[in-house]
Amino acid sequence: MPEIYSPSSEHEVADFIKNCNSQEIPIEITGHNSKPIGRLIQCSKSLNLKNLSGIIEYFPEELYIKVKAGTPLALIEAELDKKNQELSFEPSDMGFLYNGKSNKGSVGGAVACNLSGSRRFRAGALRDHILGFRGINGKGEIVKSGGTVVKNVTGYDVSKLITGSYGTLVALTEIVLKVQPKNEESQTLLVNNINLKKALNIFSKSMQTSVEISGACFYPAKMSKFFKLNDLDTTTSITAIRLEGPKISVVERVNTLKKLFDEYKKTISVLENYQSRIFWQNTTDLQFFNNSPNVVVKIILPPVNTDQFINKFENEELKYVVDWAGNLIWAEIPENDSVLLRQLRTEVIKLDGHMTVIKAPNHVRIKEDFLTTVDENIKVLSLKIKESFDPKKILNPGKMYSGI
Amino acid sequence: MSTLVMPQIDQSVLNDREKIVRDLKRFTNPINIISDPEGITPYETDALSAYKQKPMVVVLPENTTEVSNILKYCHENNIKIVPRGSGTGLSGGALPLADCVLLGLSKFNKILEIDFENRCVVTQPGVTNLSLTKAVEHNGFYYAPDPSSQIACSIGGNIAENSGGVHSLKYGTTTNNVLGVEIVLMDGTVMKFGGKKLESEGYDLLGLITGSEGLLGVLTEVTVKILKKPQSVKALLLGFQSVEDSGQCVSDIISGGIIPAGMEIMDKPLIKATDDYAKAGYPKDVEAILIVELDGTESEVNILIKRVEEIAKKNKSTYLRISKNDEERLRFWLGRKAAFPAIGDMSPDYLCMDGTIPRKKLAEVLKEITKLSQKHGLRVANCFHAGDGNLHPLIMFDSNIKSELKKAEKFGADILKYCVKVGGVLTGEHGVGIEKRDLMCEMFNDEDIQQQLNIKQAFDEKSLLNPGKVYPILHRCAEGGKMHVHKGEAKFKDIPRF
Repeated sequence: MPEIYSPSSEHEVADFIKNCNSQEIPIEITGHNSKPIGRLIQCSKSLNLKNLSGIIEYFPEELYIKVKAGTPLALIEAELDKKNQELSFEPSDMGFLYNGKSNKGSVGGAVACNLSGSRRFRAGALRDHILGFRGINGKGEIVKSGGTVVKNVTGYDVSKLITGSYGTLVALTEIVLKVQPKNEESQTLLVNNINLKKALNIFSKSMQTSVEISGACFYPAKMSKFFKLNDLDTTTSITAIRLEGPKISVVERVNTLKKLFDEYKKTISVLENYQSRIFWQNTTDLQFFNNSPNVVVKIILPPVNTDQFINKFENEELKYVVDWAGNLIWAEIPENDSVLLRQLRTEVIKLDGHMTVIKAPNHVRIKEDFLTTVDENIKVLSLKIKESFDPKKILNPGKMYSGI
Repeated sequence: MSTLVMPQIDQSVLNDREKIVRDLKRFTNPINIISDPEGITPYETDALSAYKQKPMVVVLPENTTEVSNILKYCHENNIKIVPRGSGTGLSGGALPLADCVLLGLSKFNKILEIDFENRCVVTQPGVTNLSLTKAVEHNGFYYAPDPSSQIACSIGGNIAENSGGVHSLKYGTTTNNVLGVEIVLMDGTVMKFGGKKLESEGYDLLGLITGSEGLLGVLTEVTVKILKKPQSVKALLLGFQSVEDSGQCVSDIISGGIIPAGMEIMDKPLIKATDDYAKAGYPKDVEAILIVELDGTESEVNILIKRVEEIAKKNKSTYLRISKNDEERLRFWLGRKAAFPAIGDMSPDYLCMDGTIPRKKLAEVLKEITKLSQKHGLRVANCFHAGDGNLHPLIMFDSNIKSELKKAEKFGADILKYCVKVGGVLTGEHGVGIEKRDLMCEMFNDEDIQQQLNIKQAFDEKSLLNPGKVYPILHRCAEGGKMHVHKGEAKFKDIPRF
């Protein structure tokens, strides 16, 4: 077990890293331990940032919140809720997947993993909502970038580089996130018992109208059963489209789509506000893979390739849900089926996508790649970027790629 | 013109000029190489025309392989490269160096693929911003970022500067609307970041190069997402007896849960200037006007208009007009869009600043600008992208009067420093370039800047790509120059600027 250090101030973090850097001691950075994600690494020291917690400033009318990196995401969301605001990229609660119960973890962890929920294709990813940060690089220096405003081209956008870097560039200490007003109403148009191809066609057609959908997912029949919602038929496949905004507008847009998809009128239904919100919360939180003992992967593809990909594996032991209007597939495969895992990866690459292993037992994490990057030039550049922040490679070494 | 320190000229490169020109002809059609003094002249400046420098040679490659070979050759021979799109940038990002190869991307002017099913367009970087919307609007789609120079600025340049426009609050800036690029690094390596998919894995290299002002690589292909046009768009024209009231109204609209497509404030000097110039029909007995544009479905827009109307009344608005049709809505914008030429009409010269501030600080910053105006003895008018906090003070002066340019530049620097002091930033959408380079240490300390220079090293270890831009050369703060317009003779004066 690594020796755990839990500082409560930025300069303590800086001193600790500076010290480790001078002795070339690798450090694993942790927060609330809600997401055992990335390659399995072993470090003699662990830097836990959960005590670096608290809201520094929140100005609802300025649409931003500045927080310390170890602040629980749930606390931030509760604070925003008081002012009827939210993080519109819908951060996922990965606690259900990893542990079978809610644990949203820290905001620093969310930024490090750049995980975004079902509204992502409409509202952008977490990386589109980070306005600035402070953190400590591998030399123990405080680095900062960005600010609290949305329009800013002063220097490189290092905030985006940090987002999704899995703690390999800096230990985050402060984060500024853009916040947005909550939607007054949420409704979900459901079409039951159609196949994925038709569902994707519905997504595509909807997005070619002005109705502004903010959720579009597909559950095959074998996956829809986990839902426990009164107004939801879970006996067949579910194709769901979310509409949000002022109530009158939502109702109007639901009706527009109903007309547009008249051919499915026998299987069309609508989830009203309350159940609609639960439906998307469950989807964003991956509750369909609650506490999965298997391997769970996140696959990103150009949406027109999604059907072809799924068709190829239809007869395999693959459970999946499609989200982000066809851009994202969450898939689960048996933990010992490394052949299938590699087949998935090969096919994803062929179809211009990539695959990230989100959850896997340790024996799989040790031998399987976490990411898919195949372009050696990108790996070389990534290594140089890593070294520009952390020349001795002591921050989460090997978390993303071997050697980075 | 202020003195500007640029990277030291490499005399050995200049001595080899003829050989270099000859060598470059191996990589592209010789007609794409411009080396005669007359041919080079149009490339000596961008839209920050107070600064001029002829490059050693201009090359206009036609494809990625040519770009790659040229960069590789220059890398091997230690020759500096300055990339250039349409040359409409306001911060001097494409200002050549005496010993550089100016790499113009103007021949990368084709849209390669329109993909409605994946809702994206793949294009060459020299294509203009507006052409993207023109190419997809027959199907009701558009490309969201709309910088004011959109008829002329290139999408590659937009990525370099992370261009915004008046709709950034709701639809984001370029960085939120670009899906992928093909990029050539200084050593000639060709890479793809992103693509037609929504996101990439690994470090967010796409996010990093967006807004990097041509310092990290040269773009040769771009994929952007396109959006369906909203069903309905309407605007309110509001007048207030104080700037504070207009600013409070903006805060209350946002606190009320409304994210308008665009919000613009103009102060009294600008209202008068634009009304005299464009006859926009703005109210004259107000201290500030606020334009609020709302989009969505018809009924949604109508509800939001009502809510904004109520909020405006609560904030003591003394004038209120709602656009009855698209023509009237565009008329509301007409005066606002005439702001720059109107000031050009009022004053022989003006400088345009580009800070971003927290919205709630607007009244405070405008008061400070008025004070500074008195201190420096120069007139100023202000327009403000209130939605995203981007402030464009227009400083009026006469370059024929000795020392007035210097005074105006000092005034501008004082404004930007104040923007940073109240929690804002030096530049919202024009970029740092050479213009604000020496003000960077107002926002960053040596360690921050060093970290950014280290990132640059990862892409370009010899620092040959667009050197001398963005980061201070001497690590000291001095006042930089600004967008300088003389006798209305701004570079590209036909391009709207707002």
